[in-house]
Amino acid sequence: MAEQIEMQALVEAVADFVRGLQLEGQAAFHARVAAGALGIVARELAQAPRAAEAAALAGFLGREAPLDTMRAELCGRLRMRQLTPETPGLVEALTAATLARLRVDNPRYPTLERLGAA
Amino acid sequence: MVLARAARVPVRIERMVALTGGASSETWSVDAQRGRERWPLIVQRAAAEPEPGTLARAAQAGVQALAGRHGVPVAGVVAVFGERDGLGDGFVMDRLEGEALAPRWLKDEGFAGARAALTGQCAAVLARLHAVPVAEAEGLRGGSTNAQLLAMFENYRRFRVDLPVFDLAFAWIAERCGDAPADAIVHGDFRSGNLLVGRQGLVAVLDWELAHLGSGAEDLGWLCVNAWRFGVWQKPVGGFGEREDLYRAYADAGGAAIDRARAHMWEVWGTLRWGLACLQLGHDHVSGRVRSVERAAIGRRVSEVEADLLHLIRFGSV
Repeated sequence: MAEQIEMQALVEAVADFVRGLQLEGQAAFHARVAAGALGIVARELAQAPRAAEAAALAGFLGREAPLDTMRAELCGRLRMRQLTPETPGLVEALTAATLARLRVDNPRYPTLERLGAA
Repeated sequence: MVLARAARVPVRIERMVALTGGASSETWSVDAQRGRERWPLIVQRAAAEPEPGTLARAAQAGVQALAGRHGVPVAGVVAVFGERDGLGDGFVMDRLEGEALAPRWLKDEGFAGARAALTGQCAAVLARLHAVPVAEAEGLRGGSTNAQLLAMFENYRRFRVDLPVFDLAFAWIAERCGDAPADAIVHGDFRSGNLLVGRQGLVAVLDWELAHLGSGAEDLGWLCVNAWRFGVWQKPVGGFGEREDLYRAYADAGGAAIDRARAHMWEVWGTLRWGLACLQLGHDHVSGRVRSVERAAIGRRVSEVEADLLHLIRFGSV
């Protein structure tokens, strides 16, 4: 049987193809954006940022739960003023969660390195 | 017909080129001939569904012209479409010479002199705008800082997403913003991408569709949001200047003295507002309002905003 092409290889192949298209004007711009979006997909497949984000939030909350549940709980408690920006450990946990997503969405964003090094 | 009425001499249209077109607006570059003169124009027209929170084009033309009368450099308004024109909501303005692509004038060597002058020019222009009596602004909406914060929070909740960093930023702002009255005409979108720049610096302030009544410091904070620096993050004022120079020039030009903590609060506010715009643009695609790969991709810029918010809140700047 022929070698199975993995999802990531497939996405990268499409990204390369889109990047190589000879286009002009708006279409060229949208092709660049499209290739960038495929880059996000490839990194998300490789890095599993949701797991890293869930680990960061679970560390703060002190228990495991599905990521969306933990996000909703943190938002709800911030809205109720049960959590505040001064709550110990909160901004650190949110920083770790954000870094995991930003490494996927835009690894070249300048604040990524500055926030990660802090 | 609209142009003939404005020009009072025979007008001929030589060429029309669509600059942008979409579900919410159209912009045309028009080469006209007025008598024997060349008459370069821009036409802006709203399509069926305007972007949420934006002014009608006619109102936009009104505030642009008002700012112009008070010495703010703007493209002169030539004509506003009336009901009898049957052209919908739109207006015609002069097309000025200059570079509107911020990444170009922020990085091109030929604009080094312009960049050096721009911080002082922006400060002076904003001081002039914020000194315009609020009573002269017809039909502009606005509210106290508290009312605006509440409106922004309701806008966030419309998307039914849970972003803890956004809620953290809302809580952080609520602790600090107080309830200052809306005492100035605010451009509302005063950033590098909306400045027309020539070799000497600022030529005109563009895109008045988010003008409203608010606090002048809001415009200064928005100008310092990281997204408008196009990667030149070391220059907090729009990718070309320093905060202290902006505040000093603003006060020198008659603007209010800038409280540093308050200016910081407005930067956090502006960053969060850009984050909500990212949500809106992503939602436009997902909801089918405007299907576009660009809008879908901008939805993924939310994490950039979250990183900026955290850096601002933890370390006092970004």
